[in-house]
Amino acid sequence: MTVLIKEPKEIVEATAGFSQETVRQASAAKDEPAWMLDLRLRAWQTFESLPWPKPTDEDWRRTRLTSFNLDNYTPFATPGGTLGLDELDPILLNALDEMDSSASLLYRDGGVIYSRENQDLKQQGIIFTDLQTAVKQHPELVRRYFMTEAVKPDANKFTALHAALWDTGSFIFVPSNTKVVLPLQAILYQGERVGGYHHTLLVAEEGAEVTVVDDLLGAKNSFQATVVELILKDNAQVRYMNLQDFEHTAWNFLTGSAVMGKDTDLRWIQVSWGSRLTKAFLDLDMRGEGGHGELLGLYFPTRRQHIDHQTLQLHRVPNCFSDLLFNGALKHRARSVYMGIIKVLPGAQKTDAFQRNGNLILDSSARADSIPGLEIEADDVRCTHAATAAQVEDEYVFYLMARGLTRPQAERMIVQGFLQKVLDRVPVESVVHKLEKVIARKISR
Amino acid sequence: MSTLAIQNLHVAIGDTEILKGVDLTLHSGEIHAMMGPNGSGKSTLSYVVAGHPHYKVTQGDILLDGESILDMEADERARTGIFLAFQYPVSIPGVSVANFLRTAVSNVRGYTTKEADSNANGVIGSNLMPMREFRRELNTKMKEFNVDSSFARRYLNEGFSGGEKKRTEVLQMAMLEPKFAILDESDSGLDIDALQVVSDGINKLATEDRGFLLITHYQRILNFVKPDYVSIFFGGRIVKTGGPEVAHMLEERGYNWVEEELVAGIVPA
Ligand SMILES: Nc1ncnc2c1ncn2[C@@H]1O[C@H](COP(=O)(O)OP(=O)(O)OP(=O)(O)O)[C@@H](O)[C@H]1O
Ligand SMILES: [Mg+2]
Repeated sequence: MTVLIKEPKEIVEATAGFSQETVRQASAAKDEPAWMLDLRLRAWQTFESLPWPKPTDEDWRRTRLTSFNLDNYTPFATPGGTLGLDELDPILLNALDEMDSSASLLYRDGGVIYSRENQDLKQQGIIFTDLQTAVKQHPELVRRYFMTEAVKPDANKFTALHAALWDTGSFIFVPSNTKVVLPLQAILYQGERVGGYHHTLLVAEEGAEVTVVDDLLGAKNSFQATVVELILKDNAQVRYMNLQDFEHTAWNFLTGSAVMGKDTDLRWIQVSWGSRLTKAFLDLDMRGEGGHGELLGLYFPTRRQHIDHQTLQLHRVPNCFSDLLFNGALKHRARSVYMGIIKVLPGAQKTDAFQRNGNLILDSSARADSIPGLEIEADDVRCTHAATAAQVEDEYVFYLMARGLTRPQAERMIVQGFLQKVLDRVPVESVVHKLEKVIARKISR
Repeated sequence: MSTLAIQNLHVAIGDTEILKGVDLTLHSGEIHAMMGPNGSGKSTLSYVVAGHPHYKVTQGDILLDGESILDMEADERARTGIFLAFQYPVSIPGVSVANFLRTAVSNVRGYTTKEADSNANGVIGSNLMPMREFRRELNTKMKEFNVDSSFARRYLNEGFSGGEKKRTEVLQMAMLEPKFAILDESDSGLDIDALQVVSDGINKLATEDRGFLLITHYQRILNFVKPDYVSIFFGGRIVKTGGPEVAHMLEERGYNWVEEELVAGIVPA
């Protein structure tokens, strides 16, 4: 196996297009151990062997990749080193200060540019570091969990590409019965015309409690293939927020899965504000009895944005509860797709599962497709699903205007009210305020 | 001292004329009760005064202190001091009473400046009455109008009982302090205690600088709230106006005699 010893800058310049060589270079630039290069190369093979999504694939019938072409992008970004707090872009500084965190990591151009710990996590054995560092400092943990259990490289074309070229990412490890009080915050600001492959790998051991917020920004004229892996050991409690607010020129592919042990408690908030196109695969994988999983989504595409969420609530074992609620508003010519399945395997009795998708259509040219589904192979279960698409009720607008609200205020209030059912369940107040601001911004434009 | 003058008002929905020449003048300091059979057009009249966009005014005018309000949108009318307590208040998912009422009160009282108005799409929380001040006032008024304090946080009318909805409407009136309030059956569906509370509320708000149009089917609220005038609304217009005795007459005789008198030409057709 050859390892190139070159300056990262040179390496990128040498990179033309995506190839096995690109993968070697990506690994070399990070000065990685051989096992990771190996993993990447195998993933590259998988990537090459998997066909590109076709409109005839059930998963891609409503979301077309027309005009998406890898050749338009630099395969990976070149990190520029770390910065001081006062050198940070105001956008990033703002994102950083929006929230009280236990610790924050800030990524840009394929690397960490800033990090801070507001609380002593190490003392408690908590690991919150960027994944590249974790590969070197905690190889046994990363080898054990990185794309082995929750999301495997061959899950889809984009997870394979991700595994081959992953760059930024956070590794979070919370030991047994340890509680991280304030959220852990990771902010990614992706650069222009480049591929990005952000990873979140969270391992919450038995009885651990942690809240993690991923803030995804930038990605002008870029594409991003994110992977989120949440691994909850028995009795762990996790609150996870993935807040995607990319530029409207970004292609965004997200695959996330939560592997849930016995008596675990997860609330996952998936927010998809940005991107020109998003295709997200999100799974709750209930593997231990007594698991409680909530998957809550918010989206608000405007202009020509296209946002597609595809979810799976997989009940493998008895006595689990899963609740899914995705609410979205749509403006202009925007389009949303929601596809979801509650799958109850044989023997998973006493499953209690909900799945709801609501759409508020603000313009007649916007369109929301909603395809809920059930696959139930156990007989003693309670599973319900519902999908709605509605417009802003004139009578609501009139009522509020008769109280003195202007029409835009009234409409904003109604739209926000519609999304409130999800906002009400966002566990971090500063995140709620941030989301409210985006909603207000989206309504007014 | 203000005047709300409804003059020869004709209103249609599509091709159907519903209001057929309503004439009614309200002055501040007065309570004008209006009774009329189901479907006669009372709620339509309230909606039109409040500025509902679905109704077409085909003739006539509505003047507030001599100025026509017909070209104003509902929110402008609210800001000039017109209030409607809805017969059937809607419930709006996810919108809490405190939340929209703070914006409403801020607009109506002028916390929202002209610039802020053009910026009405901006961040929630700008140009609003200070939260603490608003809360304090809301709490006081909730106590006064016997509305449980939990209602402030609850979503508007979601899961409210009929009576709770009506009381919340009156609470909103108390917060918005209008010049003219139209109460469309605010007494319907109230139990005896709630009727007392709502009536007390109206009486408290019935000051010299405020006028009321009290739409009701029942004489009983008029035992608590003393009207200066009682009008009978029939077939899309007012056919008779008098004192409280008119309400008693209706209570005793129903509406048949009105129709008979109409046919006989005793009241003008
Ligand atoms: N949006 C509408 N479309 C068609 N007809 C309507 C509409 N709104 C009202 N009407 C009709 O106009 C008439 C007057 O209705 P309105 O609600 O004003 O009566 P009301 O006097 O308030 O009756 P009630 O005492 O039952 O409340 C009714 O015949 C009603 O069916
Ligand atoms: Mg009515």
